[in-house]
Amino acid sequence: MKALDLTVSPAPHCHCGARITRVSYNILLALIPAMAMGFYYYGFDALRVVAASMGSAMLAEAAIQSILRKPITIADGSAAVSGLLLALILPASVPLYLVVVANFVGIVVGKQCFGGLGANPLNPALVGWAVIRITRAWAGYLDFDLALVNYETGFILQYPLAVLKAQGSAGVAHFSLMDLFLGKQVGGIGSSAIIWLLLGGLYLVVRGVIRWEIPLSFLIGVAVIAGIFWLGDRTSYGSPIFNILAGNVMIGAFFLSTDNASSPVNQWGMLVFGFCCGAMTVVLRSWSIYPDGVVFACLLMNLFVPLLDKIKKKQPLPPALSPVTPPVMSKSAEERSAS
Amino acid sequence: MKLLRTFTKGLWEELPPFRLVLGLCPVLAVTKSAETGLGMGLAVIFVLTCSNVLVSCLRNVIPRKVRIASYIVIIASFVVMVELASQAFFYKIYESLGIFIPLIVVNCIILGRAEAFASRNGIIPSALDGLGIGLGFTMSLTVLGAIREILGAGTLFGTQVMWSSFRPFTFMVEAPGAFISLGVLLALMNAFSKTQQS
Repeated sequence: MKALDLTVSPAPHCHCGARITRVSYNILLALIPAMAMGFYYYGFDALRVVAASMGSAMLAEAAIQSILRKPITIADGSAAVSGLLLALILPASVPLYLVVVANFVGIVVGKQCFGGLGANPLNPALVGWAVIRITRAWAGYLDFDLALVNYETGFILQYPLAVLKAQGSAGVAHFSLMDLFLGKQVGGIGSSAIIWLLLGGLYLVVRGVIRWEIPLSFLIGVAVIAGIFWLGDRTSYGSPIFNILAGNVMIGAFFLSTDNASSPVNQWGMLVFGFCCGAMTVVLRSWSIYPDGVVFACLLMNLFVPLLDKIKKKQPLPPALSPVTPPVMSKSAEERSAS
Repeated sequence: MKLLRTFTKGLWEELPPFRLVLGLCPVLAVTKSAETGLGMGLAVIFVLTCSNVLVSCLRNVIPRKVRIASYIVIIASFVVMVELASQAFFYKIYESLGIFIPLIVVNCIILGRAEAFASRNGIIPSALDGLGIGLGFTMSLTVLGAIREILGAGTLFGTQVMWSSFRPFTFMVEAPGAFISLGVLLALMNAFSKTQQS
C-alpha cells in the first residue's frame, strides 16, 4: 500500500494572516485623531515631542538590537507604538532630552533586557514615563499646570486632577463635564482628547486588536471605587464621571493597560486586571502625592499578570496518576537529622 | 606566585558584587555617592582583613559546631572598632552610612571569606585574600557610587563635574536607580568577560 502524503504538525494549522505589524499599525491608526488634537491645541511643540519620542524609541530599539547582534525589528512598529504612547501622556512643553532618556530606559531596560517584544513584563512606555516622573529635579517639566501655562488653547488652563487634589470637589465645579469629554482640558498631548481616544479604542475593539474585557472593567473599576470615595466624602473626592473623564483614564483603559505582553491572557484574568487597574488608579489619585495614578496603577498591575494568568478554567484531570510514594530519606540525611 | 594570585583574584575573577554577587545590600544602599561608597569599602577592607587574620589564627582552636557564632563574635568586635573610630574621626561619613556600618557584621562577603578561605588557610594567605577581596569590593562600590553620583547629582566626590545648567537625573540616586545601574554594570562585565574568553 502506498503511504499517504500527509503533513503532521502541531497546532495552529492555519494562519489567519495576523502579524505584529497589523496590531501595531492599527494602534497607530487609532491614536492619530488624539494626536491630531494635540497638534491642534499645542502646535509645533506637540509635533516636536511626538517626533522625538517615536524616533528615539525606534533608535533605542535598533541600537540595542545591533549591539546584542539580534535581528533589527523596528519595522514591526512596536517601538513606534510605545514611543507614541509615551509622547501622548507627556505635556507638549517637555524638553526633548527627557523624552529621549525615557524612551531609552523604557526600551532598553523595560523591554529588550527581558527579551524583547512579547517577553516584557511591563509596558515599556510606562517604564520610561515612571523613570522621568520620579526624578525629582525634573518634576517641574511634567507638572501640567507649570508646563502648559504659556499656551493659548481656549479652555481653562488648569489640570483638573491637580485642582481636585488641592481644592476638593468645589474647585472643579467650573469644569463642565462636556468640555472634559470633548477633550477641552489640560493634560498630555493626546491623553486629554477623551472622545477621540474612546473612538480609537472602540475601533481597536471592533477590529479585534484589543479585547473588550480590559477597557470595560478598567472603566468599571474607576467608576465603582471613585463612587465609594465620592459617597463617603463628597467635598474632597470627585464624582465617578469626573474621574473617568479627567486625566489619563481613557488612554490607560484602551491603550496603556492593553499592551499584549503585559496583560493577562484569560478572560477572568483580564477582567480582574482591568478592574484592579481602575481601582488602584482612584486609590492613587486620592492618596498619593501625584494628581494622577493611571500609569503607576498599570505598572503595578503588570507585575501581577503572571499571577492573574493562573486564573483559568479547570482542565479535566489526567487519568489516574500513580500513587505518590513518600520520598525515601537518604542515609546521610537521616544521620544529619539525628545529630 | 600563588600568594599573588590569592591577592589578585579579588580584583577581577572573584570581584565581590559582580562576580560572587555577594553583599548586595550595602552595594545598593550606600552607593549614592562615590564618597560613601569609598568609606564603606575602606571599612570593609579593615574588617575583612583583620577578621580573616584572626579566624586563620584561631582556626585550630574553634570547635567546628560553634564556628559560625565564633566568626560573628570576631567580626562584630572589629565592626565595633570601625564604628567607634569613624564616629570619632570621620563623623560626616559615619552619619551618611548610618545603620550600614553596624550591618557590616552580617555582610555575607566577610562571613563567606572566613568560612571559605580563612578557616582553611594560613595567616598570610588569609590576610592577602582579605585585602584583595576588600580592595575589589571598595573599587566596585566607588565606581558604582561615582556613576550614580555623576548622573544623579552632577558631582564627583562633592565637586561639580557636569556643566552648570545640568539638571541632575536624580532617578539614579534613588533605590530603583541603584538596581538598574548595578544590573547594567553586571551585564557589561559579563559581556566583557565573554569576549575575553572567545
